Amino acid sequence: MGKDILLLAEHFEGQLAPSTLEIVAKGRELAAQSGGVAKAALFGHDAGGLAQALAGYGLPVLLVDDASLSEYTGGGYGQAARALVESLAPRVVLAAHTSQGYDLAPGLAGAMDLPLASNCLDIRLEGDKLVATRRLLNEKVQGEFEISSEKPYIVTLRPGSTKRAEPAPGGQVTPMAVAIDPSQVREKFLGIERPQVSDIDIAAADVIVSAGRGIQKKENLAIIEEFAKILGGVVGASRPLTDMEWLPKTRQVGQSGKTVRPKLYIACGISGAMQHVAGMKDAGLIVAINMDPSAPIFEIAHVGIVGNLLQIVPLAVKELKG
Amino acid sequence: MPLNLIVCLKQIPNPDLQFAIAPTGKDIKRETLNYKTNGSDEYALEEAVRIKEKHGGRVVALTMGPKRADSMLREALAKGADEAVRVSYEDVGGYDAGKTGRILAAAIKTLPHDLVLTGVQSDDLVNSATGALVAGLLGLAHVSVVTKVEVQGSGLEVWSELEGGLSRRYSVPLPALVSIQFGANVPRYAPLPAIMKATRQPIKEIAPAALGVPGWDAIATPYAFAIRKLSPPEAKGHATMISGSPEEQAKKLAQMLREKGFVRR
Repeated sequence: MGKDILLLAEHFEGQLAPSTLEIVAKGRELAAQSGGVAKAALFGHDAGGLAQALAGYGLPVLLVDDASLSEYTGGGYGQAARALVESLAPRVVLAAHTSQGYDLAPGLAGAMDLPLASNCLDIRLEGDKLVATRRLLNEKVQGEFEISSEKPYIVTLRPGSTKRAEPAPGGQVTPMAVAIDPSQVREKFLGIERPQVSDIDIAAADVIVSAGRGIQKKENLAIIEEFAKILGGVVGASRPLTDMEWLPKTRQVGQSGKTVRPKLYIACGISGAMQHVAGMKDAGLIVAINMDPSAPIFEIAHVGIVGNLLQIVPLAVKELKG
Repeated sequence: MPLNLIVCLKQIPNPDLQFAIAPTGKDIKRETLNYKTNGSDEYALEEAVRIKEKHGGRVVALTMGPKRADSMLREALAKGADEAVRVSYEDVGGYDAGKTGRILAAAIKTLPHDLVLTGVQSDDLVNSATGALVAGLLGLAHVSVVTKVEVQGSGLEVWSELEGGLSRRYSVPLPALVSIQFGANVPRYAPLPAIMKATRQPIKEIAPAALGVPGWDAIATPYAFAIRKLSPPEAKGHATMISGSPEEQAKKLAQMLREKGFVRR
């Protein structure tokens, strides 16, 4: 069994994903614990420049460059990852818990019959054991889980749970000769789809008042709109509201929506699931109004109010008008 | 082209509740919990039923869990599933996702399947792993975080959601597995007659013997799994809480927003 940590880099349209720099940082910690080396694997086509950029963070980068890797597919990236895991026998294979990570990491664990720990907030090696810290049940429970195996551990790390690596000297790129069988890439990439934009850009606003499921009825959006208006702000939303089409998709704040950094962010009836928090945690002042005192939104809010927003917001608007 | 569709469903504790840790530290207290169908699984079921309605075929609602999960399966029958199957698995927490994936994969192997659908994640354990794990174990083509599925000829065209609202579009041959994202469709309500009918429909139980093993432990995992402990998350929050009656809370909030210069008059 090897000691190295293999990091599965992610990139999109010629840019490294920010989460890749986080797994570089975490990979170094793990390598210190295993007594091995953190190495990144980068899959793509004509991706030498990206591999060089990643090597700029001071680690060896193994480049698999192949025409069938120009875009992510479970079959293509899966084959490349499998080949490297077989030849390097790493102690841990680390990917970010992103849309791509959801597909690649468990797919690899299944195809190679390997142990898996996903969506980890933190991860460490204790001897041969892997200890994963995870959040469960809408962030309300924390769990520590222990997995022991002789085989490489496949792990995904939740984005935003660790600091990004800084540029450092000493990295180099090694091209790897891995044959990708295009007939085994069953998922064929057809194209990228972008949302139609015909709405305000909430990312440009200084003040965002966001509504979540706590508003209960679509009609209650009027309360949020009035609050936003008096603060010179715009209305945002958490995912359930845009899924129900109470507001357009362009208003959605979070991992699968917009990332925003307004001066003031007021979360009304939003529980604060990871998916939402990822998109607004860097706002200047975060105010949260929620009925549930155990709602995770209060963990990242600067000012919190436990109560019914349908009562409190209209009263606050009245105060501000008066 | 009629399709054999399997949709994997999970019954989870309602995540809007507050949770306490059991004295063992290895589970949550379950006495007072109520259970519901996992959020994204509702969308997976709806997607499967719509595919069947448009192209023909059969939808099997498959779960793994204790007897209480039968109520969820009856709901699925009422919403258009043709058959309900429960892998009888009594580990109430089911924290070992690798074990779940391996047992589910073994069960799926015994059922005809052109397309397997799962939700993108379970809202209790949030691993976002079961779909692609099962696909890897069964050697199925797979796409995760899918917001749209179209049957095209003998395969599918699917949209896979990325961060920031973008999507990748793929064509995928069958058999395949897709994990369905929240908001992929608008799940239907079950009509009352269908609910009544579902109460009388049989639920097929799969015990270990049906998969040719003496017990679930005989389905091997390449690792040993242990729960060290569950705990309330460390309160790293530093929110200043505004207390009082709703009137007082509103007044203090308005005052704070004024003091910080957010009110334009």
